[in-house]
Amino acid sequence: MTTAERQPLTISISQGAAEHVRDFAEQAGQSDANLRVGVKGGGCSGLTYVLDIVDQPNEGDKVIEGHGLKLYVDRKSYVFLAGTILEYSGGLNGKGFVFNNPNAKTTCGCGTSFSV
Amino acid sequence: MATSQQAAPREASDGYRAARETVALLDRSAVGRLRINGRDALDLLDRLSTNHLRDLTPGHGLHTVLTTNKGRVVDLLFVLAGEAHLLVLTGRLTRRKVPDWIDFYTFTEDVSVEDVTDETAMLSLVGPSAGALLARLCGLNGIRACESASVTVGGVEAVIMRTDFLNLPSYDLVVPSDAAEDVLGAVIGAGAGHGIARIGEEALDLLRIEQGVPAQGRELTEDANPLEAGLIDLISFNKGCYVGQEVVARLNTYDKVQRTLVGLSWDASLEPERAADLFADGRKVGLLTSAACPARTGRRIGLGLVRKAQARAGLALAVGSPDGPAAVVHDLPFGASPS
Repeated sequence: MTTAERQPLTISISQGAAEHVRDFAEQAGQSDANLRVGVKGGGCSGLTYVLDIVDQPNEGDKVIEGHGLKLYVDRKSYVFLAGTILEYSGGLNGKGFVFNNPNAKTTCGCGTSFSV
Repeated sequence: MATSQQAAPREASDGYRAARETVALLDRSAVGRLRINGRDALDLLDRLSTNHLRDLTPGHGLHTVLTTNKGRVVDLLFVLAGEAHLLVLTGRLTRRKVPDWIDFYTFTEDVSVEDVTDETAMLSLVGPSAGALLARLCGLNGIRACESASVTVGGVEAVIMRTDFLNLPSYDLVVPSDAAEDVLGAVIGAGAGHGIARIGEEALDLLRIEQGVPAQGRELTEDANPLEAGLIDLISFNKGCYVGQEVVARLNTYDKVQRTLVGLSWDASLEPERAADLFADGRKVGLLTSAACPARTGRRIGLGLVRKAQARAGLALAVGSPDGPAAVVHDLPFGASPS
């Protein structure tokens, strides 16, 4: 897992994670696509992460750039994600994309949901 | 526990008898009613509560439990899917809390919540003849539990849901509040031949306790999880994640539920404090959560959340203090009280 430096008031993506996003986008035939990052209700701990490859931001999204990629984040999700580093854990036992979120007080057993 | 001067056995009320034998009428307008709009409404509620709501089709509903991320009860809901929106019944005390809860968990979803409690009224029919009365009143023939229908009652358009909220045949009619009197008149008129009687709050609570149905603010609080509150039938263990799922699943899988909902009975001359502690062998083992006084039996009955080791029918627990008067544990439901 490559790491990125945490910036408290924004969302960062590691170089490794950005490369994997580009790989997935190319496999899906969306080489110009960027990444929607967000939160939704649900998951064992209450809030769960959302990742989606998209062409355009929605109205009101915050747009954050990192390693040549644009991250689109709706404003409510941003409150729960500020300071997060999005990383990629590869290999046979890797977890894939990992949200290193300083706002998460607890996470569920599988790590895909959290509470604040 | 104090001695009550008013605890002498009484006659069963007409309303109680009607609910058991014919049909009882009550105004449940104080129950919260929310109209939830938007294409993501069902998916969101499915992610926030215990039952499998995702596959509901219009005209069908389910009871479900809104839970915290610690698997505790926020509210017991009835969710009815409509063509254009959901109609959700909340507890009486949680009508304002539930919209806030849903709003907190709404991010980019297409969901909006409208409180329609004041603009609508809800009349309920309970008892074995309720279905026959509705057939006569509006030609409604046989809707099954958790189904609904749009009908006309006394010239007023109404939604009828069969919610069976007391684990008895129970139908709720939702109508515009300014037409409630007209609907009430039509129901009473048609009900005369079916032995209809109004049921009051006290008799209704007695029925609820006899049926072993937990109530918001009594058994259903954020101190209880849905398993110990007797709501396991409202939990889907294979639908996937919802808020609190990990805790609820672990409690069930590893048999870690500490308490269970039981019936209790004690001498009718004794009136316990609300939420009195229950003791066995000098140790606190539970909480008395509800109490009522049936007619003629000479004993009060109640519900309690009791540690599983002491949740055995016939066991005597001390009420209020380690050497307090005895209450006997019963299996639920109690069944009908003698009248």
